[in-house]
Amino acid sequence: MGSSLKSFIKDIRNAKTLADQRTIITKQSAKIRTKLRDDHLPFSKRRVNIQKLLYLYILGEPTHFAQVECINLIASDQFVDKRLGYLATMLLLDEKQDLLTLLTNLLNNDLHHPNKYIVSLALSTLGSLSSYELARDLYPDVIHLIETSSDPFILTKSFQCLAKLIIKDSELTILEIFPIELIKEKFLDSPNVSLLTHGVWLGICKVLQSIVILLLDTSIQETPEFILAIRENLLIILPNLLDQLSSLNVKNYESNYDVQGIRDPFLQCEIIITLKWIFKLAKKVELFSPIKTKYDEKFIDIFTQLTNNSSLSLNKNPTNAILYEVTRTIFELEMNQSLRLLGINILANFLKPTNSASGSTEKGKKSKTNSNNNNNIKYVALNTLIRVVQQEPNAIAKHKKFISHCLYDPDISIKFRSLELTFAILNKDNLIELVNELIKFLHDVSLNNVNSGYVYIDMDESKELINYTIDNLVKRFDLYDSNQEKVKLQNLFEILKLTGNMISVDKLNEFLITINNVEDWKIKINCLVENIVSHMQKGKIPTSNICWNLIMIWSIGEYGDSITNQSNGKISETQLVNYLIQLNTLYSNTSKSSIKNNPSATNNTYNDHITMIQYILTSSLKLSSKINDGGNIESLRQIILNHQKDPNLMLQLKSNQYEMIFNQPANLKKLMLECMPNFVRQIETNGDETFTHTISTKAEAPSIDKNSNLLDLLSDISDKPSNSTASSVKKEVSALTLPNDAVSIFNNDLLEIYSHVVDVQPGNAHYELFFKPLSTPFNELHSLCAVPKQQKLTLGQIQPTHNNIDVNQITKQSLKIAGTGKLKLRVKLNIVTGNNETQQVQFDHKFNETI
Amino acid sequence: MSIRFILCFNKQGVVRLVRWYTANESGRETQEFIAQIYRLISSRDHKHQSNFVEFSDVTKLIYKRYAGLYFVMGVDMRDEEPIYLSHIHLFVEVLDNFFGNVCELDIVFNFYKVYMVLDEMFLAGEIQEVSKDVLVEKLHILDKLE
Repeated sequence: MGSSLKSFIKDIRNAKTLADQRTIITKQSAKIRTKLRDDHLPFSKRRVNIQKLLYLYILGEPTHFAQVECINLIASDQFVDKRLGYLATMLLLDEKQDLLTLLTNLLNNDLHHPNKYIVSLALSTLGSLSSYELARDLYPDVIHLIETSSDPFILTKSFQCLAKLIIKDSELTILEIFPIELIKEKFLDSPNVSLLTHGVWLGICKVLQSIVILLLDTSIQETPEFILAIRENLLIILPNLLDQLSSLNVKNYESNYDVQGIRDPFLQCEIIITLKWIFKLAKKVELFSPIKTKYDEKFIDIFTQLTNNSSLSLNKNPTNAILYEVTRTIFELEMNQSLRLLGINILANFLKPTNSASGSTEKGKKSKTNSNNNNNIKYVALNTLIRVVQQEPNAIAKHKKFISHCLYDPDISIKFRSLELTFAILNKDNLIELVNELIKFLHDVSLNNVNSGYVYIDMDESKELINYTIDNLVKRFDLYDSNQEKVKLQNLFEILKLTGNMISVDKLNEFLITINNVEDWKIKINCLVENIVSHMQKGKIPTSNICWNLIMIWSIGEYGDSITNQSNGKISETQLVNYLIQLNTLYSNTSKSSIKNNPSATNNTYNDHITMIQYILTSSLKLSSKINDGGNIESLRQIILNHQKDPNLMLQLKSNQYEMIFNQPANLKKLMLECMPNFVRQIETNGDETFTHTISTKAEAPSIDKNSNLLDLLSDISDKPSNSTASSVKKEVSALTLPNDAVSIFNNDLLEIYSHVVDVQPGNAHYELFFKPLSTPFNELHSLCAVPKQQKLTLGQIQPTHNNIDVNQITKQSLKIAGTGKLKLRVKLNIVTGNNETQQVQFDHKFNETI
Repeated sequence: MSIRFILCFNKQGVVRLVRWYTANESGRETQEFIAQIYRLISSRDHKHQSNFVEFSDVTKLIYKRYAGLYFVMGVDMRDEEPIYLSHIHLFVEVLDNFFGNVCELDIVFNFYKVYMVLDEMFLAGEIQEVSKDVLVEKLHILDKLE
């Protein structure tokens, strides 16, 4: 039979062109179809045709027409027929097909077949294709095998198969009769050790996992007897699992199962996972807490032993796999603090560069084989750390060095994850250090952009990295203390210098607000002088760094007079005016030429340039009231007049409006154009929505028509006496109050929780949760939220702090949900109250909105 | 909780082995689905990038290249990655042992035997036997059965 299958495969492989191949395949496929339809075709021929068909299946050809044929093959008495029939059935059918009912009888017969290899085939197939009906009809046969068989080969498969059937059994009919104590009596405690191979162990683990998962999933109001019994039995099995796990870690054992010197990492992982599930159930039902505490200690002991034992041979995948599973379990079960710290240390160790000696990454060619194994473990460690950073932010922050190190990893996914983690651990204490690290990183990425030193990070990816970093950095500007304003400004300008040509102009609002809100006037102006001087010394104006230019333009308009005064003669009025003239020419020309050439392609640049000119106009107008030299004032007026006939309506309008102001009497004009803290609000309306919101929680911002900038400027004057400086607005934010439309979604004697809709759109929703302690202050508050599978949740940090929250003090957390469907939320809170008691609160909430 | 699918394709993206453990993982467009996986994995730098990559909202890929063949496992997003890499390695070791220095052509012409190896190692997406010796011994018996 082999030869004809062989020639069939050869024919397909030897086709010269794709078209040839297609012709052969179509022809052969038709031929197989006709052959199989022939009822008198002998089994041997039938087999060859099914084999050919499976080859076509691998190539992705349609094969569904032969499904019944495959099942027919199973009905044969011959082992070879059955083997191929079962294989083909598993490949061509899936759990959802009605045809599966045809299998019930065949499987039932074969499960009792004297030939163990046929039983094995039936078990494999039943496991793979266990529909609910099949599971219901055939589980007694599988249980029968477990009870009677003494062949590990069959037992292994029976357990695995049973595990699959149990999962399918939402009605718990299998559990009701499954003699779980049988596992203990016949296998775990039996003197006949030959029964209990590692394969059987794996199978038992899987069955136990299925049972626990099913028990966790089903919510039965009244717990029936048999479930209570199962829980009891699970607990009785617990010591066996613990013993087996620790004996796997004792050396001098037969090494049949070693992988790279580690004893059966597969089974070790599987036992750890099983233990995790059992303890999860124990935690949830709180049924057997007295017995559980007894094993808790042993569990912790073994975990400590595991972490110590395996750390000897770090950097091997099997060890890593075990350690990784251990840490995951520690965090999922929220085990005690010392183990959590141990877990974090393990993960942080994974992040260490291969050779602990510094600088080894460059010369590390010898560790080539290791580097990708190393990346694997970095990747999973970062993933886990990101997941648990809410639980232990400070402990993780201690390892910031290793995390920062990963920023320079060539793998983009590792870069992104370490970035995410860096922002998650960023706090007031490490702010300066980490921001410096991030600036260094931006430097690296932007350089890479120019030199393209790495082949594996392309332009788009580095842009994405930069934008992600900037977006998150600006959100942290509030963290700086008032005595760190100098550093803050320096950082800000440094960031702009590096990335101003790569981020979009819209993002600058935050930068402007930050500069505007710096309270120390002297520091602010000095910093500006410094930057303008160094900028002008270079002579040329780099058009590419559009954001940098924008900040310069804006600062000149706002603080032009103070800048010249404080520069000790380094900067003159004329220089500032000339600078504006230069930029005006530059952007006017490019915007005109781009609109002429290809308006659609350069749309973005065009819009940016229009924005720039708007800023230049405003800046010229403002500067004109701050300087005295007539010639310079006239030059500024020319800039404004320049756009009176601009093809862009917006610029034309602005130009004309500004000219009107220009012609006002000097004292009135000066009053109008003073540098105004209220500028913040004007920016807000054009810009960042989230920021607008934080402000408006405190003070109702006057509604401002986007297009009437002139009116706005005037209204600001009348507002002037009452204007609150922007920084005081910000301080208010840190003492949060509830928004008026917040609704209570949960309360108990410990706390009350409110939700507030920020924004709901199709596909996206943004909420804020507000937490208010009622009876006792919280030392710590951690919240975890989950949404349905089809949605994705981005959880913000608890603001302003998650530590030491007083009674009635409000903290908030932002939730961004993307996806579709009804908005449902499961919230889990871990609270350490004032008297150091740990409390857990969990509840579900349905929002009214849908996305 | 378990393996969703196992794939094997060569550097050109020609599929050599495909086994789905979750019904309709890919919907109807199975071929497009595999092609996406191939494009994603073949474009990765196999020296500097990890062997794990997120593929969709529910699936993570764990893969390794042996000579000209990629072995890929699709697993649940919440599953543990490193141990599956050991799964792949064990599978390749067993193939190597069973065929005796396995090469791509062995897999092409004896694909049904490769499935036999696969089914002795994994049952419904769970690893069932982890001892190379046990596996190879059983496979040789099975191979001789008529």
